[in-house]
Amino acid sequence: MTQVNPQLSERRVLMTELLWSFGVGVLVVAIIGMVLVTALTMGVNPPSNVERIDPKTLHLSGEFAEQNLGTTVTSDGIIARVIATQFMFVPRCIQVPEGRQVTLRMTTPDVIHGILVTGTNVNTMVVPGYVAQVHTVFTRTGDLLMPCHEYCGLGHSEMYAVVQVVSQNKFRPDSNGRAVCAQR
Amino acid sequence: MAKAPGAALPDPEAPDGITDTDLWQVMQTVPLGAGVLAGGAVALLVLGWLIVYLLVFLPRGTVG
Repeated sequence: MTQVNPQLSERRVLMTELLWSFGVGVLVVAIIGMVLVTALTMGVNPPSNVERIDPKTLHLSGEFAEQNLGTTVTSDGIIARVIATQFMFVPRCIQVPEGRQVTLRMTTPDVIHGILVTGTNVNTMVVPGYVAQVHTVFTRTGDLLMPCHEYCGLGHSEMYAVVQVVSQNKFRPDSNGRAVCAQR
Repeated sequence: MAKAPGAALPDPEAPDGITDTDLWQVMQTVPLGAGVLAGGAVALLVLGWLIVYLLVFLPRGTVG
């Protein structure tokens, strides 16, 4: 009977495992490297903002009072403020320009909601007591659906808004810097 | 199982008739096959991630 050399067999297994570990290590480093490079050079980061707000009084005064909702052009840039509430967004439509940095700021007075803008990477939770903030640049024009993606009650499926992305020459805020959706 | 030339006769003490030589011959090829299968699966997974990241995620614009 041919004798099997157990040491030779173990060495082959070890070499296979080391080779596999090396290959997987290279892949992991390459993927993390790509994510880091795009984060540092293109500013692609997960939205992160910890900012408290009183959900009981946010509609009475301050940033999220009714007259301040919607898109506003200020010296700080283009800011769109939206309140998510059972079961609608206020306002139902926000207009933003294509190719310029936009800051979306949202909060809610009732329960946890979530938003995403279809065809973009905008995606965040809207939690009572906090202000959710996302910086983004919209890269194409059109009416983009913004549904609530966190179950918030029986009317959840009817809760959506529209982000109207227009070209820069069609984005014409009024003298107060306010921009509203064009009627279509 | 086909016997390689010169392989030992079945071990009369092995209840299934599989000798150490048979196992040794199988172990020459099984790790390679497993490596090719696992490598192909991982390569497809990474390729899918790359396609989605470069052709879907990045063109959708920055967030932060």
